[in-house]
Amino acid sequence: MAIPAAAVEQITDWEVPEQQIGLWTDALQRFRRNRLAIAGAALIALLVVIAFGSPLLVHIGILPDPLKQNVDFIESGPGQNGFLLGSDELGRDTFSRLLFGSRVSLAVGILVQAIILPIGLTIGLAAGYFGGRIDNLLMRFTDIWYAFPDLLFVLVVVSVFGPSLITIFGAIALVNWVGLARLVRGQVLSIKEKEFIEAARSSGSAPVKLILKHLLPNSLGPIIVTLTFGIPNAIFLEAVLSFLGVGIQPPTPTWGQMVFDGYEAIYANPTSVVFPALAIGFTLLAFTFVGDGLRDALDPRMRR
Amino acid sequence: MAVIAGRPARGALLPPRLRAITGTRSGALAIFIIRRILWMIPILFFVILITFSLMHLAPGSPWDKNGGRQLSDTVVHNLNVRYGLDKPVPQQFLLYVWNVTHFDFGLSYQYQGKTVSDLLLESWPYTATIGVLAFLLIIPVGVGLGVLAALRQNTRVDYITMGFATIAASFPNFVIGALMVVVLSVLAYKATGGNFYLPAAGFAVDDSLIMPVVTLALLPIAYTARLTRASTLETIRQDYVRTAWAKGLPERLVVIRHVLKNSLIPVVTTLGPTFAFLVTGSVIVETVFAIPGIGRAFVTAIESRDYPMILGTTVLFSLVVAVANLIVDVLYVFIDPRVRLT
Amino acid sequence: MHIGVWSRALTLATAGVFIAACGGNNNPTQNLASPDKQILRANNGTEPNSFDPTQQTYTYERAVGVQTFDSLFRAKADGSDIEPLGATSMDVSSDGLTYTFHLRQNEKWSDGKPVVAADWVYGWKHFLNPALAAGYVDPFFDLTIKGGANYGNVDGTKQADVDAFLNGLGLSAPDDHTFVVQLDHPAAYFKWVTTLWVAVPLRQDIIEKAAGGSFPSTDTTKAEAWANNAATIVGNGPYMIKEIAPKDHVTLVPNPNYWAPAPHLQQIVYYEIADGNTAYSQYNTGALDMIGVPLADVTVVRNDPKLSKEAILIPTLSQYWISMNTTRAPLDDKNVRMALAKSIDRDKLVNDIEHGNGKSLDTFIPKGMTGYNTSDNAQSFDPAAAKQLLAQSGKADQLSKMKLLTRNSTASKTLNQFLADQWNTNLGVNITLDVIDSKTVTRDIRKGQFDIYGLDGWIGDYPDQQDWFDIFVTGSCHNLNWGCLSDPNYDKLVSQADGDSNKTERAQLYTQAQKLLIDNAVVAFMYQPYEYDLVKSYVKGLTVTTTDDQNLPGDERYNTAFITQH
Repeated sequence: MAIPAAAVEQITDWEVPEQQIGLWTDALQRFRRNRLAIAGAALIALLVVIAFGSPLLVHIGILPDPLKQNVDFIESGPGQNGFLLGSDELGRDTFSRLLFGSRVSLAVGILVQAIILPIGLTIGLAAGYFGGRIDNLLMRFTDIWYAFPDLLFVLVVVSVFGPSLITIFGAIALVNWVGLARLVRGQVLSIKEKEFIEAARSSGSAPVKLILKHLLPNSLGPIIVTLTFGIPNAIFLEAVLSFLGVGIQPPTPTWGQMVFDGYEAIYANPTSVVFPALAIGFTLLAFTFVGDGLRDALDPRMRR
Repeated sequence: MAVIAGRPARGALLPPRLRAITGTRSGALAIFIIRRILWMIPILFFVILITFSLMHLAPGSPWDKNGGRQLSDTVVHNLNVRYGLDKPVPQQFLLYVWNVTHFDFGLSYQYQGKTVSDLLLESWPYTATIGVLAFLLIIPVGVGLGVLAALRQNTRVDYITMGFATIAASFPNFVIGALMVVVLSVLAYKATGGNFYLPAAGFAVDDSLIMPVVTLALLPIAYTARLTRASTLETIRQDYVRTAWAKGLPERLVVIRHVLKNSLIPVVTTLGPTFAFLVTGSVIVETVFAIPGIGRAFVTAIESRDYPMILGTTVLFSLVVAVANLIVDVLYVFIDPRVRLT
Repeated sequence: MHIGVWSRALTLATAGVFIAACGGNNNPTQNLASPDKQILRANNGTEPNSFDPTQQTYTYERAVGVQTFDSLFRAKADGSDIEPLGATSMDVSSDGLTYTFHLRQNEKWSDGKPVVAADWVYGWKHFLNPALAAGYVDPFFDLTIKGGANYGNVDGTKQADVDAFLNGLGLSAPDDHTFVVQLDHPAAYFKWVTTLWVAVPLRQDIIEKAAGGSFPSTDTTKAEAWANNAATIVGNGPYMIKEIAPKDHVTLVPNPNYWAPAPHLQQIVYYEIADGNTAYSQYNTGALDMIGVPLADVTVVRNDPKLSKEAILIPTLSQYWISMNTTRAPLDDKNVRMALAKSIDRDKLVNDIEHGNGKSLDTFIPKGMTGYNTSDNAQSFDPAAAKQLLAQSGKADQLSKMKLLTRNSTASKTLNQFLADQWNTNLGVNITLDVIDSKTVTRDIRKGQFDIYGLDGWIGDYPDQQDWFDIFVTGSCHNLNWGCLSDPNYDKLVSQADGDSNKTERAQLYTQAQKLLIDNAVVAFMYQPYEYDLVKSYVKGLTVTTTDDQNLPGDERYNTAFITQH
């Protein structure tokens, strides 16, 4: 059974342009005109700054250590006992943990895409290019995938290989490459139907090279967009893994773990859920804005 | 329904009588449906195979307890004998598949003397109620918002609707669920002294369904709204719609007769994945709202290594999803006559 | 009870502590609500895995079991001795090997048939059937009852073997009102074993009818066919099951044929709400009368003028500790283990992390039992002494490579992060957490593949020290004694004490054994947990005892409880 995705946005139909001259300069301009996308990008930039800057803030003493326990003041509300956003069940500073949580979330989001890219690209290419039986196999495999118990899969992968960052990222990537593979497959199929491929085929030259030559530049747009939408998805999955108890090891702060641990104290200290939940929500929103912006900018249909 | 280039027409390889059947569209549809139903068999087989292997790879046995004194090795051995776990794994697998073909999903390890079928029947109503209610919300609300936003493109209505849709699509459902519990349950209870609030969990009162259903439905609603808006915008630009408009037909009529029908096609294609999402999404929603449905049963079964229950839930899930996809594909054929039946 | 520390544990209240809930008017003649209002709605937390008492192992299962089935005896309310239930008296032969139970003359099943000795023999044999592999068999029965020692070697699939084993057990019914049990060796604690909820009579005719006729002893499916249907669960307990609503609740009503006077409570509804927060909100809205307070809400309840009056803090007969793998360096060094034990501030742990639900205890036997003695302070919190011990051993670097195995529940993670922080602060060693799926943790500790594991603990089955000291004997290495320290002196003391019928002598032997456990730092003892429950003020007359189930104060003696007008 598939873990439900945060954003099920999947691009399967993306018109392949005959040519892409000026596409990129055009796209950049359109992206810059999209205010939401710019706001999203700004928020992501801020997150990156926070992720790199927060250890420095701790070092110079502005920010409390996110691991420092202060058990005399547990579950403080915002502003109480000198905690800006309150403290958690071990008396650790929620604000500081929130800032440090961005590190894991960004790492998960981006590194998982780095693993998905080669897998999705290879399988999608193979299915689209060879078509027929192999293609059919991929489609049936997708059917299996929908019903596949990936909670169990992730649990097994993490239990067998130990809960290190690499296994967690790998496990998330392994249950997430299908979307990209299907996209690439669709791209290859539509390129194959183009006249210039027919022409090449009738003139006797191998279409493999042509397809590859046309695929990459043409499909870069949709691939980038798919991967951008994949980032919030991966961030979401890390949180779900924490809930299953196979997430990043404590005491490292992650937003997902903060939400699920805070949920146990939802009546006594509701803010312990609200802040990390909002952090996840807005980060995902930022990536969605950027993804939307990229799609609008890169989709050739929008150029009309 | 894959668009496949460079292949002989399906009928060409068939004997003449069958070719006659496939020659007609309804005949082709029948063959298409039969083929898809037959496909379910290998799919189910592989789902069972993968689940079975993963299950036995997962460390810990069903008899390990979550703390305290553990069973002695001899009791564990007797339990293994009792449930056939002492046999080689391939043999267990074949036995399971054989039993499944006889609709026997075995006995639960966790609940003494109860069959997996009993347990699934106990949990299914909860998941189905929430899923169906959410499903009923998605089409009218999602499509309605999408069409509304498209017709009022670039107005405040459009921005608000799409802003809502974007937020709902990007906030994960456990976050939305948790935030709703904080606001509508915890804070509302405190603020009104217990006069108005929504129950955070439980299934006894009707009120308690509101938050789980909304949480589950929000993401598909948002997605449907975005999709409908895009396809409606495209339809509006079509010549025949413009003509209808120019002829002075009332807006409502144009929308219903021309716009809605065409812009619904992409929405119908997403119903399959949406249905899958509603069923599988129940895992999180049922956890957040403490609902004893299938999703919760599945997580509990994994946690307690209740092997027959893990397999039973997985098989049920895959069947539901496969049937939903099949229905959607068939619907699609009726809606869009251009679809090739391969 | 075998229930794990983190699986919603805690059952027993301290011996000798009577808590009449919420004080005030405990006279049932005044202010009594009408019979249709005599309904108690409590949260039992989880759906029982089985309604067959012989197959029950968890407190949420036993909670139903003790209402529907009576064992021979039960613990007195103060835990000092046993008192009659299904039997009115017992004789023990002078060699301590033959127990003769004289059954209650007028006892009837809930369907009106008399309870006879043959039912007891049938019930006990059902429990001891190796094919059924009941979770609670060892070590109370198989090694104690004559013929039981072979339990582990019987192949549960071979009917001849199973039958031979069952027929060879020292259980017999010379007449309808006499039940005789023969033991393999003298066991001073056996009277307590007869109080367990698994040692009950069962009805052969009903079980066989539900199975569709008589069945071979190896057919486990048929043997349990009766146990999920309210109509076929015929018991000899004070209440009977009226309704089983799966995953929601179980409804109990008084057994009209019970031997004791009819109780006030006309209906008991056990809800199965797993989430503590949900139960807490249901209690606040008046949908539940009795709940356990979720840890996070304890402080809120304490500071609430209304709720604090409805709260009761009940010491439990349990103790928590940290296990250290004594087969791995540097934990094979007694001084290293002692340094770990001495560097945890248990008061902080109890007062801050556990919100005051407990009592720091650096010895073994909890308060409220014979053997409770805190005079040995070898493991007491003393960071300076701990540092010195570690420095002398010269193994600080090695210790910093150790991992603290942690189950993946929030409670477990929180506690273990505190422990790691204590070792870091007070001992200067950096022990990291290894948080994994609970089943995987169990597999690892069973195989001895861990460094440090915590917290683990014990909840007493009955108020006798044998139940506690048997944990650390050499033979139980892979069942609970995870650290696997084998000490022949300890084994000798415990086996001597277990069979000793002289009370004073027995207590002395156990005291010596306890000293060995503490001084060798076999485990690091931490604290005795308390249970914090909320009971509505209109629920009166509860008799809270040592054997009540988790979050169900007074459940062994509901006959004294009643609902007042509200």
